[in-house]
Formats: sequence, C-alpha cells, structure tokens
Amino acid sequence: MPLDTSTYALAHLRLDGRRWNELRHLHAQISTQASSDGSSYLEQGNTKILCTVSGPQEQRRNAPGGRQQQAGAGSDTEAQIVVEMNLAAFSSTDRKKRARSDKRVQEMQFTIAEAFRGTLFTNLYPHSTITITLHVLSQDGSLLTACLNAATLALVDAGIPMSDYVSAVTVASAPSSDQSLDEVDPLLDLNGLEEQELPFMTVGTTAAGTGEGVEGEAKIMVLVMETKVQMGRLEAMLSVGVDGCRRVRGLLDDVVRTQGRRVMENKIS
Amino acid sequence: MPSEPLPPNPNREFILSALRQNTRLDSRALDAYRPISLRFPSDPDTYGQTDVRIGKTRVLCSISCDVGAPYPDRKFDGVFSITCELGPMGSPSWEIGRQDQTEIVLSRLLEKTVRRSGALDTESLCIVAGQKCFHLRADLHILDNDGNLLDTATLALVAALLHFKRPDVSVEGEEITVYDVREREPVKLTLTHTPFIITTSFYPSQHRSDHDLIAVLDTTLEEEQCRSGSLAISLNRHGEVCNLAKYGSCGLEGLSVLTAVNMALDKAKMFDRLVKERLDEDEKMRAEVFGRKGVDLSAENERVMERPVG
Repeated sequence: MPLDTSTYALAHLRLDGRRWNELRHLHAQISTQASSDGSSYLEQGNTKILCTVSGPQEQRRNAPGGRQQQAGAGSDTEAQIVVEMNLAAFSSTDRKKRARSDKRVQEMQFTIAEAFRGTLFTNLYPHSTITITLHVLSQDGSLLTACLNAATLALVDAGIPMSDYVSAVTVASAPSSDQSLDEVDPLLDLNGLEEQELPFMTVGTTAAGTGEGVEGEAKIMVLVMETKVQMGRLEAMLSVGVDGCRRVRGLLDDVVRTQGRRVMENKIS
Repeated sequence: MPSEPLPPNPNREFILSALRQNTRLDSRALDAYRPISLRFPSDPDTYGQTDVRIGKTRVLCSISCDVGAPYPDRKFDGVFSITCELGPMGSPSWEIGRQDQTEIVLSRLLEKTVRRSGALDTESLCIVAGQKCFHLRADLHILDNDGNLLDTATLALVAALLHFKRPDVSVEGEEITVYDVREREPVKLTLTHTPFIITTSFYPSQHRSDHDLIAVLDTTLEEEQCRSGSLAISLNRHGEVCNLAKYGSCGLEGLSVLTAVNMALDKAKMFDRLVKERLDEDEKMRAEVFGRKGVDLSAENERVMERPVG
C-alpha cells in the first residue's frame, strides 16, 4: 500500500515525495499542431495526452446511427460532440493493443462528451459536429482527468465559445481498513500505483453558472467513482476535489494566457 | 427506427412546470418509487431467475452456471460474466447487434456495481485451482423500457444472484464430482454485500438556469427524456458507495451530490428489505408446496423424551 511505507507515517510524504494536497507537475501547451482547428499537449506527472479538436464542421453523415445518441439531444438544435480516444499500445507498462470496441474506453468517451455538452455553446452551431480526438501517449494514473484538461485547452485553442473551463482532478480516500489513518486527509491527484491501491474518484468542475467567475460556487460536471468508499468520507473527498479543480483551472488559464501573450507579441513585432 | 422520438415541446414544458410545483404526472412524491414487483419462478428445480417490474419497466434476469477452466492469470477465481442485450422488445429504437449508448452505460454500470465491487465472491466458485472452476453467467433481458432501467436491472440481477443455487461439488484428489440437483441439494452463492443502484435525475427549477436543481427518483421514460442530468449511485445498505456516475450536461453542487447519496441510502435499505422478504416467501412456498426443506435440514433425529435423562 502506498501509504503504509514508513515515510508516510513519519513525514506524511507519499511515494513520490508529495503531501496529501499537492498536485503533480502539470505542463501544458496549446496550438501544438498548426493543421487542426485546436490542439493541446498536456502532461500531468507521467500521464501524457495529445488532443486535437476539429470543428464545428459539417455533420458526419457516415457516422453510424448509434452515434447520434452519443451526445444526446437532436442535432438540428445543437452541435454534436464526438470524442475519440486512442490509447497507444506503448502507453502503459505492458504493451497492450486495445480493441476499438473496448467498453471502458467507450464509457470514458461518453463521459467526456457529456461534460462538454454542458459548457460549450452548442446551440450556436446546429447541424454540425465538433470532434475531439485524444491520443494517450503515456498512462500513469488519472487518465480521465488528464483527458478532460487536455480537451478543455484544445477547445479553447479552437475558439469554440464556452461558458468556462472544465478542470478535473482525482481524489482518493484514506484506506478504511487501517484504523490509525482514520483522520488522514484525502489524497489529491493520484499516480498509477496509488490508483490501483486506493479507492478514488474523478471530479471535474466548472466555475460557471452564476456568472460570478472563479469566486462563485463551482459546479460539478463530471463525477466518476468506481471503487468502494464509506458514505461518510464522500464529503471530505468532494471538497478536496473541488478545491483541487480550482487550482488546476488556474494552471490551465495561465497556459492559455501565456499563449495569448506570445501571439500578441508576434503580431506587434 | 434510429432513435427514440423525444416528447413534443408542450409535453416537455408541462412535465417541467409540474415538477417546479412538486407534482408528477402520476401524482407520486418526487422521491417515491412506482410499485415494485419481484417474482421468482414457480418451477421447483429452477433457481436464479427473476422477473422484476418497477412500474411498467420490466427486466428478466437468468443465472446459469457451467464448469470450465479459470483465467490463467486468476487461478483461484471463478468466472462471472454479465450479458445485457437490448432488443426490440424493450423499445422500438433498440436493435440487436448495434451498440446503443444506453446499452454501454447499462452494462458498464452493472459490471462495476456487481462485479468490480466484489459483491459476488468469485473465490468461492473455484473448484480446483488453475484447472476447474464454475463459469457463472447472468443474462439480462429488458422486456419493457419505461424509464429507470438501471435500478430495475440491478435489482433483478442481485435478487437472481441471491436466489440462485449452484450444483454441489466434491473433490477427491484429482477427481471432481459435480452432483446433479436431484442427487444433492444445490448450494447458494456467497455474496459479500448486496449493492443496488439508485438513479437520481435532475431538472432545472427555473427556465434556462442551473440554480437549485430539482432531484427526482424513479423517472418514467418521458420524464427521463426531459431531464438535464442524472447521477447513478450504487450502494449497499451499510452505506458503502460502490460506484458514482454522473451523466448529463447540468452542473451539480457538492451539496446536491451528498443529499442524493443520503436519499439513496434509504432506498437501498428499502430494496434490501424487499428482496429479503421475497426470498423468505419463496423459501416457505417451496418448502410447503414442493416439500423441499432447504435450509431447515438438520442432522438430529426426532426424539421423543419419555423420561428426563439423568
């Protein structure tokens, strides 16, 4: 167990030297590919995602009928959001070629599409499709999180109007079997090893809705938890998660503003 | 038919404005379930089949088992697979063979709730480590879709697992004998906990705003098509949440999630009581009608005490 090592009990440091509320190193760039409408590259610790966005474009007629239901409501009133995820065979520790119809991947695609359906102003582009393609180059925990963050940046780069960023983070609860760790705070931003051992949830929020910006009440757009957790711990996990999302949002915003400054400087000089 | 036709705008507006005034089309409370009916087969030799109805939504679950080889990387575990196919019987928009989004969500949530949470103890299905184990197969058929498929399907699956009895097995050295139902009483499965899914649907309380979402349980199909988001909570009666999945484009507040989980706990306890009651009734019925004593078997002889001993 990552928490059983003596370092945690003595110094409250996790295996990679972080404290309970420290995020992994987040490095991101936008406009990495000139050929697509929007693109981004995001690294969260060792999880590396490359994302490209194309759209809004003319609706794909050859998409199978099932796709029409993928992003919900009829496409004659809003744009359809299609998400494709490619997990590279070399992305995890063992080389594994993933089948296209892997249900886990399909579920993640659906979750991502639903999350953006709530923030993008899709009603401005009826009869069109916005395609988000995610290439996972390296997986080390928090896969859904990194995909959501990378997709947000790419959508901002593509210039698609949205109400706010969708920023996500993972939170784990302390192991419930160990009594002495009962008062331990939830862990923020898990790596691959911690994800396998501890029950965790992925939380994605936007700060929009009340029009008060970042200071307003954050709204949870994505909530996924696949492991067993006692009901009482949920409150702590959610509040730590929402706070973590706010910090990630700040980091993503910095990336966008840096790029904006660079573009302005190039234009002026 | 490519997709289920959405309700027309007047219907949609009517349902939403009714909810804002705390009423539903069938006069239920916002957190009330429709009448639930849980039936087991009347055939004495058949175990592990359930026919569950919540309102008009109807799901049939059937459990069967076979002896086979375990997975090479899981030598001590049996194999448990859940198949859920949506066919035209449940809804005219479902076609066999084409993976609908509903089907993916349904099968993934069932897998995560029942399999991944360890509700079924797969180690108890092992016969000889690395060589023979039970292959348990759960088949779910959606016979009618009138909303709230997740809750109904999970109830059917869990009740069927609790009802099912696998053939008894004895191992002597390398020889395995699988006894027929008529030779030895079949054995119940070991379930470590009984999870249920409670889906909470959210509706906007004002026009075009996420302010104060209204939370509603057990939606009918028409109500489901008008909702702006849903949260599927899988938990057991002890309050252990196995799975949380939020779908839809509305933004939830942390408090709404916690309130929904608290409401779900009450409903999970209700489901648990219901399943236990029906199982007890079924046991009694089988004992009376078919003379099967089941758990009441005892090794003691009937003694008539004429004089106190000693």
